[in-house]
Amino acid sequence: MKKNLRWKIILVVVVIGLCLYLSYPPGEKIHLGLDLKGGMHLVLQVLTDDAINIETDQAILRLQEQLKKEEINFENITKGRLGEIILTSFDQEKEGQLRKIIDEYFRDWDSSFSGNKVTLKIKPGVATYLREQSVRQALETLRNRIDELGLTEPTIQRQGIAGDRIIVELPGVDNPERVKEIIKTTALLEWRLVIAGPAPDKETLLQKYGGELPPDLEILPGDPKRTQGGYYLVQRVSPVVGKDLRNARRSIDEWNNPAVAFTLSPDAGKRFYKFTSDHIGEPLAVVLDGKVQQVATIEDRIRDSGIIRGRFTQEEAEDIALVLRAGPLPATIKYLEERTIGPSLGADSIRKGLRATIIALLLVMGFMIFYYRVSGINAVVALILNIIILMGALSYFKATLTLPGIAGIILTIGMAVDANVLIFERIREELATGKNVLSAVSSGFSRAFRTILDANITTIIAAIFLFQFGTGAVKGFAVTLIIGITASMFTAVFVSRIIFDVYLGKKKKIKKLSI
Amino acid sequence: MQIFKNPNFDFMKFKFFAFGLSAIVILVGLLNMTIGKGINYGIDFAGGTLIRVIFKNPVPIDTIRSLLNSQGLGKSRIQEVGATQQEYIIRTLQLTGEDIQDELEAHEIIGNKVVDTLRPSEDKTNLEAGLLDLNSIDVQDLTELLPPELENRENIAQQIIDYRRVKGIIKSFEDLSTSLNLPPEALTALKEKTFLGNLAILSRETVGPQVGHDLRRKATQATIWALIGMLIYIGLRFKFAYGISAILTLAHDVLVTVGIFSLTNRELNLPVIAAILTIVGYSLNDTIVIFDRIRDNLRILRKDPLVKIINTSINQTLSRTIITSGTTLLTVIALFLFGGEVINDFAFTMIIGVLAGTYSSIYQSCAYLYFWNTIFKPKKGLRK
Repeated sequence: MKKNLRWKIILVVVVIGLCLYLSYPPGEKIHLGLDLKGGMHLVLQVLTDDAINIETDQAILRLQEQLKKEEINFENITKGRLGEIILTSFDQEKEGQLRKIIDEYFRDWDSSFSGNKVTLKIKPGVATYLREQSVRQALETLRNRIDELGLTEPTIQRQGIAGDRIIVELPGVDNPERVKEIIKTTALLEWRLVIAGPAPDKETLLQKYGGELPPDLEILPGDPKRTQGGYYLVQRVSPVVGKDLRNARRSIDEWNNPAVAFTLSPDAGKRFYKFTSDHIGEPLAVVLDGKVQQVATIEDRIRDSGIIRGRFTQEEAEDIALVLRAGPLPATIKYLEERTIGPSLGADSIRKGLRATIIALLLVMGFMIFYYRVSGINAVVALILNIIILMGALSYFKATLTLPGIAGIILTIGMAVDANVLIFERIREELATGKNVLSAVSSGFSRAFRTILDANITTIIAAIFLFQFGTGAVKGFAVTLIIGITASMFTAVFVSRIIFDVYLGKKKKIKKLSI
Repeated sequence: MQIFKNPNFDFMKFKFFAFGLSAIVILVGLLNMTIGKGINYGIDFAGGTLIRVIFKNPVPIDTIRSLLNSQGLGKSRIQEVGATQQEYIIRTLQLTGEDIQDELEAHEIIGNKVVDTLRPSEDKTNLEAGLLDLNSIDVQDLTELLPPELENRENIAQQIIDYRRVKGIIKSFEDLSTSLNLPPEALTALKEKTFLGNLAILSRETVGPQVGHDLRRKATQATIWALIGMLIYIGLRFKFAYGISAILTLAHDVLVTVGIFSLTNRELNLPVIAAILTIVGYSLNDTIVIFDRIRDNLRILRKDPLVKIINTSINQTLSRTIITSGTTLLTVIALFLFGGEVINDFAFTMIIGVLAGTYSSIYQSCAYLYFWNTIFKPKKGLRK
């Protein structure tokens, strides 16, 4: 045996051994996609405009405060387009002071004066930063919430050109509705003083104010699940908010009904103590995500802990405590896509996919041996090694095997032997011209190689674009196809050649090749 | 063994016939896509809800249709899976909601309505009576419901869930207890606290309109970029005339595949796009083999006219063209017949694509090359 050949054989054995080690047992080493394992796939969009709006609202409050302090009169402050504040008919004699305020307190805003009107516009860089922050914070919050659910192997990723999409994959979810609810809740908790209500409709509340509410009040609906419904007139400010919570957990009230117990941070506790002291005897509403959950009269001063009652079920109390602990979302979240695959459908797909793979494998192997005889066995060995390498590579790269991925494996089976076919046909042609076996094999391999390379590269180019564009399951297809075809270059060309060399090397004076 | 022993067919003779045939197929396909019934977009592209359900007992498709009809859901598409009358895929009708933001939620509400309509009143009564549905219960609740005296109740619960996973739906308590050899007290507890729901949801997918919109753009872009990638690669490896002919052949394959696909009742979903892109990559293989041979033969058989050289080349490579496509075809047919419902459209598209690719390598690609050469008469000819 030539020394060169021995090293080649060792290389092949090592590669195959490594791939077997990497992929055995396949049940544990190969990472299955949600379509095979069952689970939930969600695509969410963070409405980052919310972050800009919140910043604008706060800026308006700040502006009002400063104008009051400097005693600058004005007619109105309104929100223009997204990230725009318009101040109209201000006292032009005090323009200098106004400019100073803007310079000092509104560095993140571009201002333009025209007569007695000022337009403030949030700087593009700041807007981008706010959007970015809101996505990051949403990601963090979602991660916390999903961790609290205690699911195995969840994945949460950012995606999209604007980076405002989040993909959540949760294998083996039993109760998809509950999970969705938990993810979507903004979980913004507030306490608001109730001025009037509940009333059956908004008009009744508006009547007292002649149809126009003072700026410090607003009307909120009651959560139909927790209250009698209707509308409440409440104060706009909340003394403490969800951010001030130190902890929240499911609890029971004095009548043993499910409730949510909360603890405030010391600082917020002081504020809440002062607030409740000032308003003893007045009704206070607990507001979650803009809906009134419960209204109770302040009977005593509350320092840093209390409970929220509101006709909860056990599970609802648990879930609300969970989202409160994980913190509020900085912006609204919208579902773009939602797929739930039951575990039995996944198992069925695996069964059918395996069945199709085995049948395809047998058909192709049978054909190759039938058509190319002994040389066909060579191709069959190469094909089996190809699949072993494919499995090894899939587990090494921690790629996800999906149902289209299985289709990719099946296609690889059909395409990998193409290289063998091209080589064998070329060898036959060379033999037909009267060359001896050894040189026919040698030139068959070398002359077919370029064609094989061309053919495989075009397929890989297409698969790369598919990978770029594809989502989830289709990506899995592109990955198996790329790996499978690359591996076929190794097995059908390199390994096949070795097998021929070994086979022909033993029989020194071979006259005829079974092909 | 050989399929063809020294074949000598005059393929080029049929070039006009082949052009005509392809033109008709492509034209019919394009007409169907534009002014005909159009492309049947699946939920990946059009948005909507797809629910796959399994019934405990056979329910004829007409019953399902009339049930949905009675609730104003008559436009839903209903597809039977297998022939047992138990498994169905239901796609709810498309909505063009006034407020696109809420469209996904609207889809969900309709989805819920479908499930609610199909669920027999017997199940609803049982649910109202406080019983739990063993066909949708999760492992935690099931464990808690088994008598605590049972030492291995976690195990039993898991076994029941696994049994359900394999069967899709549990048909009777008797089947369950004999298959799993359940202890009598477990069975009693199950019978007392649960019922076997008539309907289980195997999968449920809802896609909003925005995703579909983005996807359509991305799919088109990916296909065009893949074609450009091919053009560049072929351009680097071959002379321009070959590159143009190869790309025309590819465009032919894609148009034929999409055209025939649009004539079927199948829905265009992501896996189908994957199949089309794979065709873009794969169908070129046979063409490359033939072009390679034409280039060689132009050197060897200098005196022969181009038509003869082309014919010789196609004939010389005929068996490998047929065999390489044949092995791939074998595998996609296996996938088509045995791979199950989910991957069926993909396999179908691949079958058309592989067939179209083989046909076009033989009958189209070389004809394009020939015409290019006759019309533009490149100075150095096709030799390199």
